[in-house]
Amino acid sequence: MTMKHKELTLAAALAVALVATTVAVPGLVDARPAYAVPVHEGGEDASFASPGSEDWDAAPAATLHLASAESGLPNASSTSVEQVDLQAVTTDDRLYLKLSWADATRDTSTADVRQFADAVAVQFPVNESARPPIAMGGASNRVNVWFWRADGTDQELLAGGPGTTTPLDSTLGNASRYENGTWEVVLSRDRSAGGANRTEIPEAQDLDVAVAVWNGSNGERSGVKAASSWHYLALGGGPQGPPYELLLWAVAGAAIVVTTLVTVEGVRRTRGET
Amino acid sequence: MSSQSDGGGSDTPEDVDLAEGIDHQVAMVMDLNKCIGCQTCTIACKTNWTEGGGRDYMYWNNVETRPGSGYPKDWEEMGGGWTDDGSERQPGQLPDKEEYGRAWEFNHEEIFYEGSDEPLRPMDGAEWGPNWDEDQGAGEYPNSYYFYLPRICNHCTHPSCVEACPRSALYKREEDGIVLVDQDRCRGYRYCVEGCPYKKVYYNSVTKNSEKCIFCYPRIEGEGPEGEVRAPSCAEDCPPQLRLVGFLDDEDGPIYKLVKEHEVAVRLHPEYRTEPNVYYIPPFAPPQHSERGESLDSERIPRNYLEELFGPEVNEALNTIERERDKVERGEESEVMDLLTTENPAKQYRLEVFDEE
Repeated sequence: MTMKHKELTLAAALAVALVATTVAVPGLVDARPAYAVPVHEGGEDASFASPGSEDWDAAPAATLHLASAESGLPNASSTSVEQVDLQAVTTDDRLYLKLSWADATRDTSTADVRQFADAVAVQFPVNESARPPIAMGGASNRVNVWFWRADGTDQELLAGGPGTTTPLDSTLGNASRYENGTWEVVLSRDRSAGGANRTEIPEAQDLDVAVAVWNGSNGERSGVKAASSWHYLALGGGPQGPPYELLLWAVAGAAIVVTTLVTVEGVRRTRGET
Repeated sequence: MSSQSDGGGSDTPEDVDLAEGIDHQVAMVMDLNKCIGCQTCTIACKTNWTEGGGRDYMYWNNVETRPGSGYPKDWEEMGGGWTDDGSERQPGQLPDKEEYGRAWEFNHEEIFYEGSDEPLRPMDGAEWGPNWDEDQGAGEYPNSYYFYLPRICNHCTHPSCVEACPRSALYKREEDGIVLVDQDRCRGYRYCVEGCPYKKVYYNSVTKNSEKCIFCYPRIEGEGPEGEVRAPSCAEDCPPQLRLVGFLDDEDGPIYKLVKEHEVAVRLHPEYRTEPNVYYIPPFAPPQHSERGESLDSERIPRNYLEELFGPEVNEALNTIERERDKVERGEESEVMDLLTTENPAKQYRLEVFDEE
C-alpha cells in the first residue's frame, strides 16, 4: 500500500511538472507562434537586393508548408513543391522578402506551347483590417500579389477572387538564383503604397502574408499551384526566436519518454513482486 | 446549355438554339465538293492576321487532306470538348510544336545567288508540317480517295475553350456569337488550347497570350476594304467560292436553309458536343472502278469514314443531296442546288440582315 501511494504521488508530481513546463518554457525561451514570419531589421550598410548577399544570413527563416490549392482546373491536386522558406527584412523605406524552395527542374522558358516557367507569388491584403479569403481574396476584400516568374518578369497584381488578377504598374525589384536544385528569389517594394489598391507595409502592425509556388515543367500555372495558408509578417514586434510549435513538440517528446520510462519501471516492479 | 429562350430576338426560329445571352449567331457552310485544296483561304487568313509576331506557326484557317493527320498532327486524338451528354469537359492535351510544324529554312541563297544545282529544299530535317500528307488519302488504285477539309474556329454555341479559361478571357460576342480572346484578360495559361477539341486556339510565345480566328469581325462590321461589310477573307478570297456566310437564325438566309430546313450541311465531329457553327456539305466522289475502268455500284469514300467525321447525320444529308441532284437532272427546281451553285455574292454572303435592330 505504501509503495502504491508513493508511486501515485510520483506520477502526480510528474504530471504537474509537465503541465508547468508546457506553460512556462515557451515564455522563458522566447518562441514565436506557428504562423508568424519573423521580420529582421536591416542595417543601413546591409544589402538585401540579391539572394546571394551574406546579409541574408542574419534574417531568420520561417518554413511555410504548401498544399495544392483548390481549383476546378485539370491536375489541380498534383502540385510538386511542399514547402518554402520565407525571410523578411525591413529597412526604413523598403520591404525585402526572400523565398527559397527546392525544385529539381529549372524551368525558365515560356517560348513553346508546352513550356511553363517556374514562378512564385506573395499575397497581402490590400486593407489589413480584415483577413481576405485565402484564394486570391474576395470582391469586397481584395489582395495584392507580388508575382515573379523564372523568365525574369515580375508583376504587381490586384485580385478580388480567383481568376480576377489585374496587373498594376509594377514597382517591384526582383533578383533570383538557382543553385543545387533550389530557387532563391528576392522580391522587394517600397513600404509606402504609392497609390490606391496597393498594400501599405505598416510600421508596427503585423501584416498577413501567403505564398504560392508553381513548378513549370509539372504543367503548373494559374490555380494549379502549391499554396500556403495565411501567415503574418511579425512587423508588430512580439516574440521572435524558434517557432512555438517546435517547443511544444519538444515538451511532448520529453513527456512521451518519461511516461514510457515510468511504465517500464512499473511493469518491472510488478513482476519483481510476484 | 443554350436554349432558345435564353437569347436572341423574339423572332429566333424555334429550331435554332442560340447560346445564352447571344442575339444572333454568325455561321458558315463549306461545300467540300468544291474545295480544290489550293490554300488560297489559308494564305488570305495568314496575310491578314498571322504574319510574324509569334504567329508564324499558326494557321487560323487551314486546309487538310482527308483521310490524313491534319493540323496540328492527329488533333482528333488530343481530347478536349465535352462528355457524351455535354455536361462535363473532357481533359485535353497541348500539341507539341513539332505537331504544328516548324517554319523551315530553305536553301534560297545557294540556288538563287550562288549558282547551286541542288533542288530547292528545306535545310534542316523537315519531318512534319501543315499539309505534309497532302493528297495522300487512302485506298488502293484504282479506288484511292481523298478530299480536302478547310477548317477555321467553329465559333461554337457550347464552346469548351470558353469554359476552360479560369479567367473568363474567352467569350462569345453578344451581337453575333463570335468567340474571341480578350487579350487584356488572357495570361497565357493555355487551358483554352487544351480545351478546344478542334485545336483552333493557339499560344503566341511572343505576346504570351492565346489567339484564334476572329471570323474577320472588322470585315463583317464594315471595317474591311472600301469600308463595306464583307464576309471573312477566307470565304471571299476562295477561288471556287465554296463558302456561304450568314446567320444561323436568319430563316431567309442560306445557312438556315441548308442546315435547318434541308439538313444537308452537317457538323464536323458533333460528338465533341461543342455545337460548331461551321457546317459542311459532305463530299461526293465518283463510284469505285473495276480494274478495267468500269464504274461499280460501290461508294469510293467509305460511308463509315464520313460518319466518323460528321456523325450519323451525314447519311441523310447525302441522301437528300442525291435526291436534289436528281431533281435538277430531271429539269426540276431545287432550292438546295440553287444555293450551292449560286454565283450571286448577295446570296452567298448575308451579313447585314440584322443591322436595323
